[in-house]
Amino acid sequence: MPDGLLKPLRYAWDYLKEISGENADDRYLAIHTATHPGKRAMTRGEFYRWRQDYKYNNPGSRCP
Amino acid sequence: MNSGLRRYGIWVVVALVGALCWGMLALSRGETLNAGWLLFAALASYAIAYRFYARFIQNKVLGTDDTRATPAERLNNGRDFEPMDRRVLFGHHFAAIAGAGPLVGPVLAAQMGFLPGTIWIIVGVVLAGAVQDMTILFFSMRRDGKSLGQMAREEIGPTGGAAALIAVLSIMVILLAVLALVVVLALAESPWGSFSLAMTIPIALLMGVYMRFLRPGRVLEVSVIGVALLIITIFGGGWIAESSSYAGAWTFTPNQLVFALIVYGFVASVLPVWLLLAPRDYLSAFMKIGTIALLAVGIAITLPPLHMPKFTEFAFNGAGPVFAGALFPFVFITIACGALSGFHALVASGTTPKLIQKESQVRMIGYGAMLVESFVAVMAIIAATALDPGVYFAMNANPALLGDTVQSAAQAVNGFGFSVDAQTLTGTAAAVGEESIIGRTGGAPTLAVGISQIFSAVIGGTALQAFWYHFAIMFEALFILTTVDAGTRVGRFMIQDLVGNVWRPFARTSWLPGNLIASALIVGAWGYFLYAGVNDPLGGINQLFPLFGIANQLLAAVALTVATTILIKMGKLRYAWVTALPLVFDAAVTLTASWQKIFSTDPAIGFFAQRAAAVESIESGKLSDTLKALKAESIDDAHQILVNTTVDGVLSILFAVMIIIVIADAVRVWYGLIWGGKQSELSEAPWQESHLDSEGKEIEREPVGAGR
Repeated sequence: MPDGLLKPLRYAWDYLKEISGENADDRYLAIHTATHPGKRAMTRGEFYRWRQDYKYNNPGSRCP
Repeated sequence: MNSGLRRYGIWVVVALVGALCWGMLALSRGETLNAGWLLFAALASYAIAYRFYARFIQNKVLGTDDTRATPAERLNNGRDFEPMDRRVLFGHHFAAIAGAGPLVGPVLAAQMGFLPGTIWIIVGVVLAGAVQDMTILFFSMRRDGKSLGQMAREEIGPTGGAAALIAVLSIMVILLAVLALVVVLALAESPWGSFSLAMTIPIALLMGVYMRFLRPGRVLEVSVIGVALLIITIFGGGWIAESSSYAGAWTFTPNQLVFALIVYGFVASVLPVWLLLAPRDYLSAFMKIGTIALLAVGIAITLPPLHMPKFTEFAFNGAGPVFAGALFPFVFITIACGALSGFHALVASGTTPKLIQKESQVRMIGYGAMLVESFVAVMAIIAATALDPGVYFAMNANPALLGDTVQSAAQAVNGFGFSVDAQTLTGTAAAVGEESIIGRTGGAPTLAVGISQIFSAVIGGTALQAFWYHFAIMFEALFILTTVDAGTRVGRFMIQDLVGNVWRPFARTSWLPGNLIASALIVGAWGYFLYAGVNDPLGGINQLFPLFGIANQLLAAVALTVATTILIKMGKLRYAWVTALPLVFDAAVTLTASWQKIFSTDPAIGFFAQRAAAVESIESGKLSDTLKALKAESIDDAHQILVNTTVDGVLSILFAVMIIIVIADAVRVWYGLIWGGKQSELSEAPWQESHLDSEGKEIEREPVGAGR
């Protein structure tokens, strides 16, 4: 595929991953290993539940 | 000179394009205008407002400071505080503020012609709505993400704070009832719609289990699966509607749907969130963004002519069959989201401010996202006014005025001053796969017909029009239900918090009895209004929607009052007009509308005038002429009207009193600050230096590596 087409597609894909929270775990791991080296990090499932439980126990409002 | 020309030349062009489009809209005489003029008038106005006015607010009024660390940077915990890329946060914030509101309000307001709604949507967002969102976002960010209620208490005082809290809770109830009413009206007697919406529940359950146990956190793949299943379901609905044996089983009366929604709302509030709420959120977010993008493309390609006149007589005589009341104040009440919506102040204070990387980004996220929402409202008004006005009124007028047959509806529409024949009405219904489109109020079906005409002109032609209609219905119903779920949950937490002050265990949100009781209370509250609305002899939408609009604009008044107070406290008195002028306008609108709803002697508008007529009928034992003119049919109707108008009237009084309390309390504070020589205490979090650049990268240290 030509580079001119590939680049926007890659950008859209990264944006989707970012906005859906798909790669939130990767970022968490990066920060965790940097700030608490050697300590066990949450698994993907644990991290995901931790985040979701927090979000829905502190619900924000949304517009109609 | 030359660089100045280069710098501003493009803006001169934008301004000229905008002026030309506005000129076409304003000066056209009778001929049918193309939607393109409206589209470009909006886009040019947004561009200029974003480039100049929003930047003025950012630099002069708020004075954003990018060397100051935001709460996301200082308090980063990877959960609620976390510096988020501005483009991603823009998407999140937009998804949180854009709901069914910007789609429904403009459709109802279209009865006055396309111009009043358009002007309010565009001018309102530029000078009021986006300003409110941006300033509240900024002030909440400076206070580590405090909520609107907390800011009202701290900046104005306990009285204003308490009034704001009561306002939020009662608005939530009315809001949920009105939204649920829109769903009921859209799905009643429609097996296709009911089936496809019901199927979203098993789809969500499936997604929930998948994300919890099979592939945790794989949001994208599960969303793709969900959307694909949803599309299949919509086709399946068409098959159900044509099947003689299943169509009956999926055809529901409004009251059956009310019951189903109440049970659903309660169950959704009690079930664990990962099972139903979280997967539905993903599903509805993707559908929402996708459909809005599709609609923008569809309108840009088809550029439909606008068949509705610029103004109809209902703008001036207040006798509109969709809702009663004249242009001022009711256009400004009916169109809230898209122009000025108090609800956004709740989103802008709370979740979003905890995620901002740089202070200056409040312009893009606060002001910018609201401009996009306004654009959604413009598209809704295009979709509604591109319809044949005769069809529009046959769908939206109070069903009691239209009668039961296409002939009686066509006759009634001719009586409103628009022409339509019975064949057109039957044909339109057949084209979208429904039995009838007569009296399908609530805005959603009208928008769906408009969207189906635009989409089918691009993809699929008439063969796919019924699919696109139900696609639009499903999309609106899906995200209204998501709002109902989320709103019920927020309301439940508020009740648990309130009661928890008196009795501790109740505040524990994981305690099942507390959960059950608080859920039942909040669902019961909106369920009551929903039931009353569906069975209202005077038409639920035209009675409840103004109440909802007043409540929403009341919340905007609270937000603008808080913003003005903080500006004065910051020593920016000479810029306080930026929020004070919208506040004055909003207060005038809200109070005038409340006044008319309470004191008007016109029984089409005033709740207490209707109530008096009901009392008279009940006492004399036969229907009074006034109630007959309102199309009430029996003494039972009179009893129903008595109850409904009492509740609605008392609520109108409550809302008006709240707004007066908040503003009066704030004026007391302003007086003390400006003339009383009071010291202003800003409750901002202290300044700390930022270590992030505008892309969110660390400035001093090397970025840390990834890997387990």
